Amino acid sequence: MSFRHLDQYATVPSPMTRTLPTARVLAVVVVAVGTATLPLGAWRHLAVLAAIVVGLVAAAKLPARAVVTRLAGPFVFILLASAALLVLVPGEPLWHMGPVGISKAGVERFGFVLGRASVALTAAVILVSTTSFPELLHALRQLRLPAVVITALGLGYRLLYLLVDEIERLQRAARSRNAAGGAARRRHVLVGIGASAMARAFARGERTHSAMLARGFAGDLPSLTPRHWDLRSSLLLVALSGAVAAVTVAAHLEF
Amino acid sequence: MAHIPDGFLSVPVMAGSATASVAALALAVRRTRRHLEEREAPVLGAATAFVFAAQMLNFPLGAGTSAHLLGGVLVGVILGPWAGMLVMFAVLLVQALLFQDGGIGALGANTLNMAVFGVGGGVLVYRWLLALLGVGLRRRVAAGAAAAFASTMLVGIAAAVELALSGTVPIGPALVAVGGGHVLMGVGEGVITGAILQMVLRGRPELVSGVPEPSRSGRVLAWGFAVAAVVLAVVAGYGASSRPDTLERAIDRLGIARLETSYLTAPFSDYSAPVGGAWLAALVGLVVVFVVAWVVSRLFLRRSPPP
Repeated sequence: MSFRHLDQYATVPSPMTRTLPTARVLAVVVVAVGTATLPLGAWRHLAVLAAIVVGLVAAAKLPARAVVTRLAGPFVFILLASAALLVLVPGEPLWHMGPVGISKAGVERFGFVLGRASVALTAAVILVSTTSFPELLHALRQLRLPAVVITALGLGYRLLYLLVDEIERLQRAARSRNAAGGAARRRHVLVGIGASAMARAFARGERTHSAMLARGFAGDLPSLTPRHWDLRSSLLLVALSGAVAAVTVAAHLEF
Repeated sequence: MAHIPDGFLSVPVMAGSATASVAALALAVRRTRRHLEEREAPVLGAATAFVFAAQMLNFPLGAGTSAHLLGGVLVGVILGPWAGMLVMFAVLLVQALLFQDGGIGALGANTLNMAVFGVGGGVLVYRWLLALLGVGLRRRVAAGAAAAFASTMLVGIAAAVELALSGTVPIGPALVAVGGGHVLMGVGEGVITGAILQMVLRGRPELVSGVPEPSRSGRVLAWGFAVAAVVLAVVAGYGASSRPDTLERAIDRLGIARLETSYLTAPFSDYSAPVGGAWLAALVGLVVVFVVAWVVSRLFLRRSPPP
């Protein structure tokens, strides 16, 4: 199992990768909050934010195909979640079948929520495509996330590959013993695999910790490539925040 | 909708839930340091990897349906509620940042729902049930399963209330759609949590954090709370008067009711839920009041000097 493909553009030289990872994380938060702030029906302003995000995709030198491919999976989930709004929001009925109906307000809200979520999602895809996991950890550390959470994230990420491989091996072994016949039998086997995976994860975690202590671990995972705030990253973040704030304020003033 | 995506919540709800989550996580960090000490790093890392990996296993539930483990109560029962909250937060962070499963802007709300209410609320129910029933193996398994169901329902109700507060969808349909969907998820979560907990308790009991046998007074208190809560929930709905109180009458007589401004849509205005009426409102109120009272009492207990 490998998630390496996620950050395959992290080493591509681009204005995005030259920007501090912490600024990239904050930029995604700014875009997510900015889109959430837009009032319902502010389509023109949402289009401006979408244009800004498309500009960031270009600045990151991400191929459109890669962005669309990565958007596809989460987009299906967002589409399903938004589609519920079609029938849940009351209003003037456009179409109905029995007790279930689609209202005009439901269609408007569905479209706008889907649009907002897609813009925020694209910003998150830019972040994950251009930022390696160690860089993300370093960014979270700079954002003052507690050391215990950073360490748990770092170790958890490293153990995850091993654990998923182990679970796949256990499942393969169970299948080879013909243990998957019938839902009840399969459930029993999967529970056994889950419990076994938990015990192995804890045992491996403790072994890893002993090895880390032997190498001088003092409670904090150091970053091999620490980067500090620079003027360029600060200015870019301020400019983006200003642009997003201007768009959202304009939307509320109906400008 | 266990993981709320970006774009579904309003800024006040995002900010409010993020603030509450930060406060709860800060408390969790302090408590975790005290309990786990230097074992915290490998234990939390292993638990994070386990929860993440276990969510990839799909368990058949029958009738063509399947469910995957959320893991909140399981990890909370094994590590304790505070470390469990941190593990769930780490999992949510990785899911939001790397897999876009749940929005980055909505991370505060998702943390509040799944880490604070899901793990904290679930473990609270688990310990309350153990105080009622005792701490034998079967009882711990049953309490774990029931707590996992309750935890999933809490997550669903919290998500529905946040969506309603954001004005995305009215509270009634939100509770039916999101809360109702979580009933099925809760059944699956309860079954899987109970089954895994049973195997771990039999094979590696040292992994599960211990629960002391409740004292006689503790058990009486737990039963007393249970009976009082049910009686209050049943009687209060019928006993409540629909007539205006003194302040409301004064507002009517002064003719200043038009000045009333609402900054937030209350999901249960006038103590009535759109679905379930006063019953559901009473039930939700009961759970919220209990959780708040428990947290406050724990804070005060910790601050009071030892005798």
